[in-house]
Amino acid sequence: MEKIEITLNINDKPCEVRVFPNDTLLEVLRDELDLTGSKESCGEGVCGSCTVHMDEKPVRACLTLAMEATGTRIKTVEGLANGDDLSDLQQSFIDHGAVQCGFCTPGMLMSADALLNENPKPDEKTVRMALAGNICRCTGYAKIVEAVGHAGNPQDHCPDCKTKE
Amino acid sequence: MSDYTIIGKRMPRVDSRAKVMGKAKFTADLKLPGMLVGKIKRSPYAHARILNIDTSKAEALPGVKAVVTGKDTEGVKWGVFAYTRDQQFIQIEKVRYIGDEVAGVAAVDKETALKALDLIEVTYEELPAVFDPMEAMASETDLIHEDFPNNINIHVNIDTGNVDENFAKAHYIREDTYVAPEESYFQAEPYAVVARFDHEDCLEVWMPNGGPHMKSKPLSNAFKIPLHKVKVRKIAIGGAFGGRSEICPVDYICALLAKKTKRPVRIQFTREENTIGTRQGHAMITTHKTGVDKKGRVLARETTCYMDGGAYSSTGPIATSVPFLSMEQAYRMESVRYNGYRIYTNKPIRGMIRTHGRGFACGLDTQLDMIADHLGIDPVEMRLRNSRQPGEYTSTKSYVDSCAMDETIHKAVEKSGFKKKWGKLPPYHGIGIGTNSVQTGFPMGIRGGSQSFIKFNEDGEATVMSGVVDNGQGNDNMLIQIAAEELGLLPEDIHLVSADTETTSSDPGSYSQVSTFVGGHAVKIAAQNCREKLFKVASKVLKVEPDKLAAKNRLIFIKDDPEKSIPIRKVVRISLLNFNSVNAEGGYWPRVDMKREWVKNPYGQMCEAFSFGTTIVEVKVDPDTGQVKVLEATAAQDVGYALNPLVLEGQFEGSIAMGGQGGMLTEYHEWKDGRCINPTMLDYKLPLACDMPPKINNIIVESVDPKGPYGAKEAGMSIAMSAAQGYSAAVSNAIGVYMDSFPLTPDKILAAIKKKNHK
Ligand code: FES
Ligand code: FES
Repeated sequence: MEKIEITLNINDKPCEVRVFPNDTLLEVLRDELDLTGSKESCGEGVCGSCTVHMDEKPVRACLTLAMEATGTRIKTVEGLANGDDLSDLQQSFIDHGAVQCGFCTPGMLMSADALLNENPKPDEKTVRMALAGNICRCTGYAKIVEAVGHAGNPQDHCPDCKTKE
Repeated sequence: MSDYTIIGKRMPRVDSRAKVMGKAKFTADLKLPGMLVGKIKRSPYAHARILNIDTSKAEALPGVKAVVTGKDTEGVKWGVFAYTRDQQFIQIEKVRYIGDEVAGVAAVDKETALKALDLIEVTYEELPAVFDPMEAMASETDLIHEDFPNNINIHVNIDTGNVDENFAKAHYIREDTYVAPEESYFQAEPYAVVARFDHEDCLEVWMPNGGPHMKSKPLSNAFKIPLHKVKVRKIAIGGAFGGRSEICPVDYICALLAKKTKRPVRIQFTREENTIGTRQGHAMITTHKTGVDKKGRVLARETTCYMDGGAYSSTGPIATSVPFLSMEQAYRMESVRYNGYRIYTNKPIRGMIRTHGRGFACGLDTQLDMIADHLGIDPVEMRLRNSRQPGEYTSTKSYVDSCAMDETIHKAVEKSGFKKKWGKLPPYHGIGIGTNSVQTGFPMGIRGGSQSFIKFNEDGEATVMSGVVDNGQGNDNMLIQIAAEELGLLPEDIHLVSADTETTSSDPGSYSQVSTFVGGHAVKIAAQNCREKLFKVASKVLKVEPDKLAAKNRLIFIKDDPEKSIPIRKVVRISLLNFNSVNAEGGYWPRVDMKREWVKNPYGQMCEAFSFGTTIVEVKVDPDTGQVKVLEATAAQDVGYALNPLVLEGQFEGSIAMGGQGGMLTEYHEWKDGRCINPTMLDYKLPLACDMPPKINNIIVESVDPKGPYGAKEAGMSIAMSAAQGYSAAVSNAIGVYMDSFPLTPDKILAAIKKKNHK
């Protein structure tokens, strides 16, 4: 098999990489581009820890071929913050204690970010369904669900919501 | 009651920022110059003699840099105790389970490494294999380990009080047997190791671990190099849950490949390898015989448990004891006899898991409910009549100092509305309660204590060194909270150096729930010693005795006259200019009975504190499908003192998920001839966000332990255990059948309903 040169648009930057036709997007992100924020937990499309956005839609990078990603806009967890400025969602994860070991966190954030882009004030059930493809072994999900629901949408009753100045 | 500044507050964790940005590095994220890819060749047979291994073709493959087999090892065997050293890191003579390590390969890339594995030719002679612990125990020949007759790896016998006499006195006696198969950790991060030998021939190694010092010692033994030459490094860890405390053959194999190739090597497990090649939970068959008086108080209990230990000892003696210990801590019993057998089978190795002994504990609680039912007592009253009280000794003679078991019961009962609901819910709608207790520490000899060092930098900030590891539960933040509180600094002023065996002193690791109680305590003492030095200097400037001073918000001030203060930064500089050091150390060693030994002498002080937990669960069962819907879970734990309620709640909720939702409803392994047929996330059902109860009530109960740092004990483990019991009790209550085979999957629930309706 020969490597092919492709250009990927990742976090709004063009990236030229040489890939095998059977390389997954996850392999290319992690091994070629050193974007190791996207994680591999199952490698078979079950756990969601490799979730990235392809044209704003969450996809599993472990099941996506790098070649398929040409001509699309890819966003990874590294592209969520604006420099050092965290997004509301990232800050909300921190404030609500939604991060324990943090291995599922990048995938959770990407699934949740896609949800919030479509529906900025989802109810709890909607959040739980939107995250049903992301496995977290540590948190029992309660704080993650809260963090997503309260992101950019602070609730008076919540002791962990920091009202934004 | 608290006038703490940082302790006791809902403080978001310091390690979260790097994690939400995707910047935190886990082992598989590491890249070192010249790094090779390592892979493991595993046994396809459950039990076989190795006749020959031919590696020549693999070695000839371009891109292969090294192949190692058992011949390359120093022949050192691993086992947690001297009497359980039964596992070679690479097998030479025999393989004992499907997945046993027979060779390792390092190559330039994954494809080449995998190709090389196929080119290694191993000739085996198959031996009769045994997969059932009871059959294994009956075997006289073809033993899995020659020196363990009847394949009995460990036998723990505990006998206290007059068991037979008390049974004779009992008003009512029941004997029931409960079973549960293996479960797995399914840490989010698959196991991975990176190893290299540096320019001074020191082994530098990264891997998820439950205690770096528990990894460095066996590696130093295996390579016959001094301990200081093994540098286990800190790295972000994607969960442990008890499964990553010991050395794993792959740690050794990766290091051996690095040694042979003189290059860094990384081995990354597949999800299947993480399930098969690390540890699993034990399958257990437990018989409880319980005799009570008229009021339901337990007079005598006899418990016999057969544990399927798999191919090697692992933490065998501990694993054989802990399910019993948890129950003897939670409940008083006038007399008790325990026989625990851990039996070798030709299956993967079993270790300690967060809900170790789910069938054991759920069985005991189910039986209590049956007895209560017979006596006409409700389950809450039944527990209150038998619950552990402060100031008592457990059956194996551990003094229980702080204990708010009853308070956890009362508060959970009130919050869940148990009394209003019990016996009044419609058909297939049930409520149940479980109570449990876990130990804060095991007797660990010279590794039982932790030591910490603190150094002040000239800008007034401090570096804290501690051997404590963070597996995801928040230990790093815990240490920083403690240090900041004691030093009068802000959390961001503290730099933590931890979980690195080169720079930190020995520490027991996280797997006996002891990180806060011992490791946190050591940091507290070190910080207090450091503060004392600063106060001495500050007292001269502020012209008061040191004991009149306090520190907060980067200032040292006079307690009675807080306006008079001096910045800590300035005190540090004054100290240095006056030839005073601004470093300190501190250590904590729990006073346990050093003569207590798991098998030989299972009596005496086990640890200094115990946590106690109650979980109440309300469920609805669909009688047509057997599906369980959990409406609400209420978790109450006596944590001693809540250092950070935000983190604690997360531990409770995670415990409900793992112990209850997964542990009691969906999680178990299935086998065919010793092969695990559901090793991946696709087939092994882990709870998802949409499966979890919509409401979890967290109740923190504080008994303020006299020995714990700020009174703290441990966070969440007795919820994980009691959640399993609460879930099982609720389902039994909903369907009106006392279940004896866990987890409670729809097929079992439907069969139970059908059987009941036929009667
Ligand atoms: S690693 Fe892609 S879904 Fe699990
Ligand atoms: S935080 Fe550990 S898996 Fe989600």
